[in-house]
Amino acid sequence: MTASRLSRVKLRAALADEARGSGLRTPRSALALAYVLLGVGVAIALLPFLYVVSTSLKETTSLFSYPPDWIPTPIYWGNFESLFADHPFVRWTFNTLFVAGAVTGLKLWFDSMAGYALAKMEFTGKRGVALLFLLSVAIPISALIIPLFFVVRHLGMLNTYWALILPPLANPLGIFMARSFIVSIPDDLEASARLDGASEFTIYRRIVLPLIRPGLVVLGMFTFMLQYTSLIWPLITIQDSERQVLAVGISGLQSAFLQDWGLLSAGMLLAAVPITVVFLLIQKTFVTNDLSGALKE
Amino acid sequence: MPAMSPPADVAVSLIQVAKSYGDVEVLRPFDLQVAEGEFVVLLGPSGCGKSTILKMIAGLEEATHGEIHVAGDLVNYVRPRDRNVAMVFQNYALYPHMTVRENIAFPLRMSRRPRLKRSTIDGRTLEAAEIVDLTQYLDRKPAQLSGGQRQRVALARAIIRQPAVFLMDEPLSNLDALLRADMRTSLLDVHSRIRKATLYVTHDQIEAMTMADRVVVLNDGRIQQVGEPHELYTAPANTFVAQFIGSPRMSLHPTSAGSDGLLRFGGAPLVIDEVIAPDPAAAMTVGVRPSALRVTDAGDACLAGRVRRRDYLGSDSYLEVQLSDGSSVMVRTDADSLLESGDDVHVDAEPGAFHLFDEAGDRVCSASARSRDR
Repeated sequence: MTASRLSRVKLRAALADEARGSGLRTPRSALALAYVLLGVGVAIALLPFLYVVSTSLKETTSLFSYPPDWIPTPIYWGNFESLFADHPFVRWTFNTLFVAGAVTGLKLWFDSMAGYALAKMEFTGKRGVALLFLLSVAIPISALIIPLFFVVRHLGMLNTYWALILPPLANPLGIFMARSFIVSIPDDLEASARLDGASEFTIYRRIVLPLIRPGLVVLGMFTFMLQYTSLIWPLITIQDSERQVLAVGISGLQSAFLQDWGLLSAGMLLAAVPITVVFLLIQKTFVTNDLSGALKE
Repeated sequence: MPAMSPPADVAVSLIQVAKSYGDVEVLRPFDLQVAEGEFVVLLGPSGCGKSTILKMIAGLEEATHGEIHVAGDLVNYVRPRDRNVAMVFQNYALYPHMTVRENIAFPLRMSRRPRLKRSTIDGRTLEAAEIVDLTQYLDRKPAQLSGGQRQRVALARAIIRQPAVFLMDEPLSNLDALLRADMRTSLLDVHSRIRKATLYVTHDQIEAMTMADRVVVLNDGRIQQVGEPHELYTAPANTFVAQFIGSPRMSLHPTSAGSDGLLRFGGAPLVIDEVIAPDPAAAMTVGVRPSALRVTDAGDACLAGRVRRRDYLGSDSYLEVQLSDGSSVMVRTDADSLLESGDDVHVDAEPGAFHLFDEAGDRVCSASARSRDR
């Protein structure tokens, strides 16, 4: 063994000793325990979902067999066929995606512009406006439903997409989130762009928006999920089944006297598909706001 | 009554410009003119208002009072982008989501009148990148560059606009000492190539002294002195400038005329060099730079004392000498001097080494010390 190799081996041994001594190395038993606990957590989260999958593939008559069959034999596709044949499931899905998409897009646009104004611009009454927004966040949505219903009815928007799209845009929580993302952008970037000839709107579009994109993705995901699963508001403003959204449509699959669990499970399972796809498509943009390189560190 | 327009060869002219935030006056009214191609450094401690001056010229801050002229035009009410100035910020202020090429080209892409062709923008981007030696990094993002390279991108982004005036707000302040020295040279090279008026803000007197054609020393929102580096060092206008310029600082001691009518420093009588003599009854301050003093034999000496401390700097050593009257003075000596703490020394001063300041701290005149045996 050469001297240099010997010293490398010694060094490695010394580093291993040090790691053990300083507790840097996780003992196998602790690792095993961590895996067991994590496994239990995964099981708790996954079991209900797997049960829904299993139920959606069973006939109602075999649902309550004991012991329960996790893997149905034979696999029954009738629940899925019924969803498409007896109910406007495709229409509900389209309505939901359209409403959630429109609300998300418009909300990101308005919230980011309002957030930009509150974070970076000086105008009379700025603090008052911010305070007003903040106060309105504190009002519970249940207290707003009845007055909002009257407003929407007065405007003749009942049973239209506008009834589903416009009211959520007035929620100021997103403005505060956008404002907090934009405040973290150094003023010098904006000043530099202004000197370079950029207009206020160009600064917003070319400098601020790209820099807060990860934050906007989170806000967009949050908004989209909230709209996608919204039940109470569509339930009271939309009566026409052709304009109804998934959450209301699926909840209508059960009646007071008959619970078709198989059909309900199939509806829930299919309803989860679009949002899962959306989430998978944009998850790689869930990264921290990367201002590295902009300023001196 | 509005002031007259500045002469044609003046790139920047500030006439009675002042800045207040509410009741707080951060800059008292002042005048300043920067000639075409001149490199002027605004030097002062943090919070003295030097960056505010740049921001007012750039249009990022509004002047509370006075007129700002850039290339002969009054620009007080002109938008920043139309002021014909470019600014390099204290931090780089690069757009992190854009490549170096996009960062440099950004001002041209924003230009509306005239809207430039893509080939023109590409050509000028390459030209600006060549000036700051960045051509091989054009497709990188700022995060993939070193501190010095990022600062050069910021410089190229300023150069590409071909402005009448460059404004630089402490561009080297966070670089390490070696890189800072290199970047100083690079900046001066770029300045000598493009020869545009430059206003450069720093709190580092070495940067100011090595780079400036003229230095503007600021403190507490007032201009203390405007002059060439040598002038600031040899004839500081007041005690602030005297102490702010030069390292180690000028030694200052209060004094007043004795019964014989002579001012003294460390026991040595001072001979006034200039025609303007100070009021013998007034309290004065005497200052002397360490570089104007030297350790000598007893026969030539004007001051005597004991070494309290020795600072070794490699090229020189500085001795803190306690004089016979109890005051201390810094004396420059050879790096290989054998003097140590506790040794008795004799010190001689160059002619005109002493600076006399009045009660308000303003310079009155210079003075020389009489040898002890004269």
